[in-house]
Amino acid sequence: MIKKIFKLLLLLFFFNLISYSFVKADNSKVDEISKNLRCLICQGQSVYDSNSDFALSVKTLISQKLDAGNSEDDIYNFLKSKYGDWIVYEPEINKYTLLLWLMPLFLFIFGGLLIVKKLFINRT
Amino acid sequence: MLNLIGNYSLILALITSFILLFLSIKNFKSDSNLNFGIVVSISLQSILICISFLTLLFSFIISDFSNLAVYNNSHTTKPMFYRISGTWGNHEGSLLLWLLVLSLFISIFVFRTKKLLISFRILTIFFQQLIITGFLLFIIFTSNPFQLIIPTPTEGLGLNPILQDPALAIHPPILYLGYVGTSIIFSSSLAALVCRYTNKEWASDLKKWTLISWIFLTLGIMLGSIWAYYELGWGGFWFWDPVENVSLMPWFCLTALLHCTSVLEKRSNLKSWTIILALSTFILSMSGTFLVRSGILNSVHTFANDPERGIFVLIFLTVLILISLTIYFKYNDIEKLTRSFLLSKESAIVINNWFMMYFLGVVLVGTIYPIFLEVITKEKISVGPPYFNQLIIPFLIPFLFIMAIGPKLDWIKNKKFDAKFTKIILLILSILISYLIAKNFNTQVLYSTLLISAALYLFFISITDLKNEKLKLSQKVSHTAFSILIISIILNSLFSEEVSVNLKKGEEKQLSNYLLKFENISKMEIDNFTSLKAEIHVIHNDNKLKFYPELRLYKVPETITSEAAIKTSLFSDNLVVVNYLKDTNYLNIRYQKKPFMLLIWLSAIMLAVGGLIGLKKNFK
Repeated sequence: MIKKIFKLLLLLFFFNLISYSFVKADNSKVDEISKNLRCLICQGQSVYDSNSDFALSVKTLISQKLDAGNSEDDIYNFLKSKYGDWIVYEPEINKYTLLLWLMPLFLFIFGGLLIVKKLFINRT
Repeated sequence: MLNLIGNYSLILALITSFILLFLSIKNFKSDSNLNFGIVVSISLQSILICISFLTLLFSFIISDFSNLAVYNNSHTTKPMFYRISGTWGNHEGSLLLWLLVLSLFISIFVFRTKKLLISFRILTIFFQQLIITGFLLFIIFTSNPFQLIIPTPTEGLGLNPILQDPALAIHPPILYLGYVGTSIIFSSSLAALVCRYTNKEWASDLKKWTLISWIFLTLGIMLGSIWAYYELGWGGFWFWDPVENVSLMPWFCLTALLHCTSVLEKRSNLKSWTIILALSTFILSMSGTFLVRSGILNSVHTFANDPERGIFVLIFLTVLILISLTIYFKYNDIEKLTRSFLLSKESAIVINNWFMMYFLGVVLVGTIYPIFLEVITKEKISVGPPYFNQLIIPFLIPFLFIMAIGPKLDWIKNKKFDAKFTKIILLILSILISYLIAKNFNTQVLYSTLLISAALYLFFISITDLKNEKLKLSQKVSHTAFSILIISIILNSLFSEEVSVNLKKGEEKQLSNYLLKFENISKMEIDNFTSLKAEIHVIHNDNKLKFYPELRLYKVPETITSEAAIKTSLFSDNLVVVNYLKDTNYLNIRYQKKPFMLLIWLSAIMLAVGGLIGLKKNFK
């Protein structure tokens, strides 16, 4: 029983590793990158959605960098070094964000173990 | 004059609160009828709060600018509809609405639960009064909606134009009905714990309140989402924005509770868990209010920030949590859980709760982690859509499969697992269709196939189950609706297309398969704004669509809003949004094709209708 559930959990982890990205075929790389960037002078808008001066200049910068042959990661890293991690919507995994990514998964495992223990084992 | 009436009725309501707290402690031991004084005081309190709310409403209608809240949020040129909705479109008014709903709910509780244990009813009133007292103190001392300005100004400052919208006008009241409904769940659970009344009778009463809150919360979230869709003009309907997340958290909790109460009702099992869920739901609703009102969250929705108010709510919240914890640990007996079998409806519901708690955990961690991280380490990070999508979507796959199988299992132990021929055919069919859909897009085929087939399988099973008379109608309707919702959301994100270009009047441009033409622009003065209507033609495969998106220039306060032009059909929305580019005569034109939008809204409504059917059945 426990083995089965353990296998199930492993499987779930596997799914999680294949990251989610429903990128549309005809959307440009600039759009794709700017959707993952926060417009720093707006409230809760992405660079892609905004038409503020800041957003427009970031979009221009992205297309210039892409033309110059920089990769997606180069651009993110450049922007992060300039404006801080705050600008990217997808937090990278480092010592500050490890818990952010792992906490929900721990919760899931813990919940699963609790259910198995309370409802299926140790029972008359 | 109006201010005085409003103010005094609030103060009188506060006095009534104290009387009620006193009366409920004094009469706790009585086992005859509900004390007459309590019934009268509760009715009186509701009437007083009602009067104060109506006074504020009236001040907004007649534009009484001697009232600070009216002055700050209204204007004489504003249409009547938005003057009325302006009442709750601001911090003070929205809290008064919370309070009104709180007191109305407890009145309904008193009159609708005559058959239940008397001491339980009195204690519920006691706990509810604690909440009401907290809100009254909060309103009177930090957010009084009846503050005078002397001398009286002749004109108001106006309502944030982005909030002048029909969907947003009714969104807060509906959402609050959901939030506040959870207060009764909270009070009733605490009371049931103390009275050791956590039995089937209590569970079936709790279920009604859970359903009521759940229906309103579902509709409230949907209305907010519709508003974001056409008013913010980004073509999206869910942004994983903190304020949206905050409304989603109690929803997960309520959905778990909804399923869990059935186990308690039918099997007298999972008592402690039901209580924990019931208490957390309200605490999450309150924390939501705290996070939104305090301005801690960086969000497009934050329109009223005030840290001092935040501290009050924080203290209030801490008190509520402490009370809940104390009572829970003092009165909750260690429960003897009855044995469960893996293949039973009970286990299916436990698994539902497990996933709901996981989803809740993801949203909770994603929303508040950045706040704590910044306080502790000064590191500022953003947690946006990629985080939530990566953590939630993979778990949807097993969740949907279990949701398809779960309802048909028997309560205690499923005798045999009837793997009927049709079910397997449906599974194969779902996988095939999904594979075909996924293959034609350059996404990860395996992943998309699994996700879509899980959703399709749930849909097929729910459809075939509609005839099954053993199952409850409410469950069938809601599960079908949920499957349509998920399928629509997935297909929407897969098939959406968009192009964006900057054009001058008369210009046109070909972008991939679409020809965008900026034909014309016209100017018009309407009530409280200037309207700039552009005429945009979109030509795709000899198919010409004309759009009239609009820019609204509001004078008070000076703001530009962009109104999307949307052509809706059952299977696809076409929309054009224009944006003004500063210091140029160019417009940024964005054309989007969004499949299945209407189905998303319709299925959300259907979900709520399922709840309504369940509610009707429970009242019989």
